[in-house]
Amino acid sequence: MSDAALDRTPNVTGTKTLSINYGLFAFAIVALTILYICARLYQQAFGFSMGLDASSPEFGEYWMTLFRIELPVLYGAGALCWTYLFLTRDKNIEAITPEVELRSYFYLTMWLVVYSFCIFWTGSFFADGDGVWHQTTLRDTPFTPSHIILFYATIPIYLFFGVGSFVYAMTRIPAFCRGISLMHVFAVVGPFLILPNLGFNEWGHAYWLTEEIFSHPLHWGFVVLGWCALALAGVLMQIVGRFRELVPIVFKQEAASA
Amino acid sequence: MRTRTVQFYDVHFSKTDVKVNERFELTGKFRLMEDWPDAVTPPDIVFVSSVSPGPTIARVETYLNGEPARQSFAKLELGRDYDFRMVLEGRTSGSSHIHPSISIKGSGPLVGPGQWINISGDAHSFAFPIKTMTGLQIDDLQTFGLTNAIGWHVAWLAVAAAWLLFWLVRPLFLPRWLVLQKGREDLLVSLRDTGVGIIVAAIVLVMVFGGYVRANQEYPYNVPLQSGLNKVAPRPASPADAEVKVISATYDVPGRSMRLATRITNKGSEPLSIGELTTANIRFLNQGLPAAIANVDPTYPRDLVARTGLELSSDTPINPGETREVLVEATDAVWELERLVSFLTDVDSKFGGLLLLYTPNGKRVIAEMGGPIVPVFTELK
Amino acid sequence: MTSITDIDAVAIPKRKAGPKGETVISVSGLTPGAARYSRMFDFLVVAAVVPLFAGAFHLHVMLTVGDWDMYVDWKDRQYWPLVTPISMIMFPAALQAIFWVNFRLPIGATVGATVLLITTWLGRYANWWIWTGFPFTEGVPSQVIAGALLMDMALIVLRNSLFTSIFAGFAFGFVFWPSNYSALAPFYLPVEHQGMVASLADMIGYTFPRSNMPEYLRIIERGTLRTFGSSVSWVSAAFAGFICIFMHQLWWQLGRFASQTTFLKNGDVVKSFMGMKSRPAS
Repeated sequence: MSDAALDRTPNVTGTKTLSINYGLFAFAIVALTILYICARLYQQAFGFSMGLDASSPEFGEYWMTLFRIELPVLYGAGALCWTYLFLTRDKNIEAITPEVELRSYFYLTMWLVVYSFCIFWTGSFFADGDGVWHQTTLRDTPFTPSHIILFYATIPIYLFFGVGSFVYAMTRIPAFCRGISLMHVFAVVGPFLILPNLGFNEWGHAYWLTEEIFSHPLHWGFVVLGWCALALAGVLMQIVGRFRELVPIVFKQEAASA
Repeated sequence: MRTRTVQFYDVHFSKTDVKVNERFELTGKFRLMEDWPDAVTPPDIVFVSSVSPGPTIARVETYLNGEPARQSFAKLELGRDYDFRMVLEGRTSGSSHIHPSISIKGSGPLVGPGQWINISGDAHSFAFPIKTMTGLQIDDLQTFGLTNAIGWHVAWLAVAAAWLLFWLVRPLFLPRWLVLQKGREDLLVSLRDTGVGIIVAAIVLVMVFGGYVRANQEYPYNVPLQSGLNKVAPRPASPADAEVKVISATYDVPGRSMRLATRITNKGSEPLSIGELTTANIRFLNQGLPAAIANVDPTYPRDLVARTGLELSSDTPINPGETREVLVEATDAVWELERLVSFLTDVDSKFGGLLLLYTPNGKRVIAEMGGPIVPVFTELK
Repeated sequence: MTSITDIDAVAIPKRKAGPKGETVISVSGLTPGAARYSRMFDFLVVAAVVPLFAGAFHLHVMLTVGDWDMYVDWKDRQYWPLVTPISMIMFPAALQAIFWVNFRLPIGATVGATVLLITTWLGRYANWWIWTGFPFTEGVPSQVIAGALLMDMALIVLRNSLFTSIFAGFAFGFVFWPSNYSALAPFYLPVEHQGMVASLADMIGYTFPRSNMPEYLRIIERGTLRTFGSSVSWVSAAFAGFICIFMHQLWWQLGRFASQTTFLKNGDVVKSFMGMKSRPAS
């Protein structure tokens, strides 16, 4: 890789710590855990009692209200965060020090950890809940207590962090600004496309598959898009590859004194 | 479209208040309509079931025309009637809305009238004992075999965890990659690691095949899952004592009223009075006819019996051999509450239903009817 | 391009060549401070790998194996031992490639199988039991840890993806049936119900009704005149092993593909928009 950072004099004076702040990362994990558990408790409280008939007034009150709130709030929060990341970007990204760059890679990794955390709640926990809901109750509309959480809450949440990781990398890390990480694109766009794939899913459930068979080809769009999670391996290798170049510079003094 | 598929009638819940572990019966009959819609798969493979909000009830026995209905049935006949009986048991305390249902492969469940069943008692006290053919008495089907299954899964997780920890305690990604770039694979996977791997593989193989042999010794008389379709004959066809032809049908959208111009022929030997129009579980009764009122089971959900009843242009009995044109009007909000006005949005705007007629001594004659229906948006006139 | 030698010159203390006393850290050239951060990075990567593949792999299994893995009364002798390992080898094979090719860690398959089993049971508890009240017996899942461990062990011995596919891919599919039968055998005890034979598994599915899953939806063995008696499950196991050979190699390659570090060229306008000063191309 052609590299500018290695040409620069690194700020290595007394560099033993990188001053990485884990606070926001820990906060995100804790806040998300609380949010997801609250969503599940809401399903527990009002799933069967208010959510069996999409045409009933109580469904409108308890579920469609939630739907109307969560959609703008979650997408709005995402848009705000992405905008913030963009507006606070480093205007001269090539000039950042190796230490700052190394720290940014750690932060990017944290973004991806939180993204992975969201993928778990969506792909496993709430998707499983959706499965068990559909085997139990009759499907009437695209809006069910399981869909209103799974599709319209947990998907925008992981998009918040997936797209966020992309914007973060592009605005803070030279390599990710200089070029577009193919695997990062896969890892973010694949799960993102699950959202438009819902159109196909609901079309299929209306006209093609009127019964619930989970392994039905109708669902395989989600599967293929889920495979894109593997692409984070490529991002990992990009990070590790750059670490090889940055670490010796940042820890140069330590190496010299050893 | 639903009005042209399965018509449930004589649905009866033996109890509406039960305790946990107390049994009750859900019985009834259904007619598979002759004018079956193209959009719904014909009833070639059918399963008789109940619909409940989760397994709040346990299913003990089910029958279709007296035949065991644990498995599905092949080729039910259109235009014919079947009776069902389900023995159910309260499981989860609370109020549960329970429906009978007929599932048709390719189309899914078509549900019958639902009733609230109040289940009282402690849900945790529920148990479903069963005796195997090998003589083993099982205390509870909910928990039997679970210790063994979870035990095996925990054992596998333990082996996996040991193997993972063996590696995860070492420096991982960056240092290993750097070392690999330097061609020093010997440092990353040593001969000792390989030896440990061989031992773990041996443990795995002993667990797999040892466990399999042990399971076979412990359960020598196991059977595969039981599948296959059963056959059942429909109920004997009752004589077609009445023939109903729909001359025209309209649905008054703002008035929530279905108006049918019918031509009814009495082909039997006794006079017939119109007693009820039933379709998709909702019932419009001729409230002036005691036999029709008496035909409503006390456990039948009241919200499915239209309060306004059936209005007829002619209420006198139709004599044997007589053909009479009768205007039948069924008005109630229940059309919309039960979402039966979908012929407004259907691509195939037809309706169907059963007309129940009664002889003077209360004998019931069931006649199928149906045809195209025209929605009337009176505000446009 | 920075060569390895450059980095060594900067970061690696001179030490005597030879394997004695060498450690991964010393050869990697990481200073103690760097090693500490590298360990923190390890934690972060593990913290990403576990939920990421718990989510992606579980979703994959739910929508490809689906009901066969979900319900005890779908675990037949014909399809379940065939469909399940063929689908469940995919992520473990890819993970194996990612962990082995890049880091020489022989744990990828085990990681996949382990997170899948844990997250599946979590769902059974939090959703199946707590929300909808299905008993655990109705949803006993399959496990592929046995096959995954064999795959990782084969890799550490054979050190070659092709031979791992041939031997361990086959083993993964083949041991699926016996390694799960030990856990599930009690559910195939026969009972008489309404004058007909049923297995306990059939009875569990029947007794605790899934309103939207009628009996006929089960895609299970119907038997033929040519069914080889009780050995039918071993035939399915062998067939699964055969397919798993190819599936393993295919997904190994996908894992390698996913590890690539390609950067596509970004447009100058976007670059400058994002904060990169334009300068002559090097």
